[in-house]
Amino acid sequence: MRRMLLVLEPVIWLLFSAGMMIGGLLLPAWALVMGVAGPLGIASTATSYDHAFALASHPIGRLVFLAAIALPLWGGAHHLRHLWLDFGGLKSDGLVGALCYALALFGSLAAIVAVIRL
Amino acid sequence: MSHAEPRVDAMKPAKPGPTRTAPPRPPDGFPSQGNYRAYLAFAFGGFFLMTVSFLVLRAVWALGNGEAAWNQLQGSFQNPIYVIFHGLAFLWLTWFILRLFRLFPATQPKRFGPLKRPPDAVLTAGLSGVFVVVTLVVAAILWGAV
Repeated sequence: MRRMLLVLEPVIWLLFSAGMMIGGLLLPAWALVMGVAGPLGIASTATSYDHAFALASHPIGRLVFLAAIALPLWGGAHHLRHLWLDFGGLKSDGLVGALCYALALFGSLAAIVAVIRL
Repeated sequence: MSHAEPRVDAMKPAKPGPTRTAPPRPPDGFPSQGNYRAYLAFAFGGFFLMTVSFLVLRAVWALGNGEAAWNQLQGSFQNPIYVIFHGLAFLWLTWFILRLFRLFPATQPKRFGPLKRPPDAVLTAGLSGVFVVVTLVVAAILWGAV
């Protein structure tokens, strides 16, 4: 398994670096508006179904939401795998790395389905 | 007078075997000293990237299921644990991307094609400015102000 992860390293690195950038740029605003301001009643328009659906179902909106879900998953998976390695997890790297990337792959495929079915 | 045969490969082991390398070990002071704490906090940003992404996925999925599912999700987001988590995620990811931009100049070549590379402070300030603008624009769109 570890050998396969080494072969896939360039692809994973591409997704990881894109994920760090896209996630770092888009997710703080999401967390602030939809996770804090919306639930506290400060941003009532943000939490309305019509507004959210109109944003997410627009063709550009679908692409942005897909990028904001799928790419940060790969960035996060690669970070967590290397955090595991830093704490001495070399022997179990094949299993942990595969689990991290499997989670990212599952989330990416689910994100594709989610934006298509809008 | 006899001559001893010179050994051509003095480093050759007596019998073949696997290359011996020292087992990996953490550097001195890891993980509590020096820059290691910031390094690990940065790597732990991966946890927030993944969890917030899955929450966005949950939200888009709920949108696809209709208004009732969306309203139910908004109700669950009012749980204080979710609010505190999102607040922490906002702070952590903001620090995460600003640290990435602060480290960015060290990874760049001396020239950008035919152009001379700007000073590190200009690069960092420019990228941090991009982050502020993008965050404000995305927040305004989500807020419904645009």
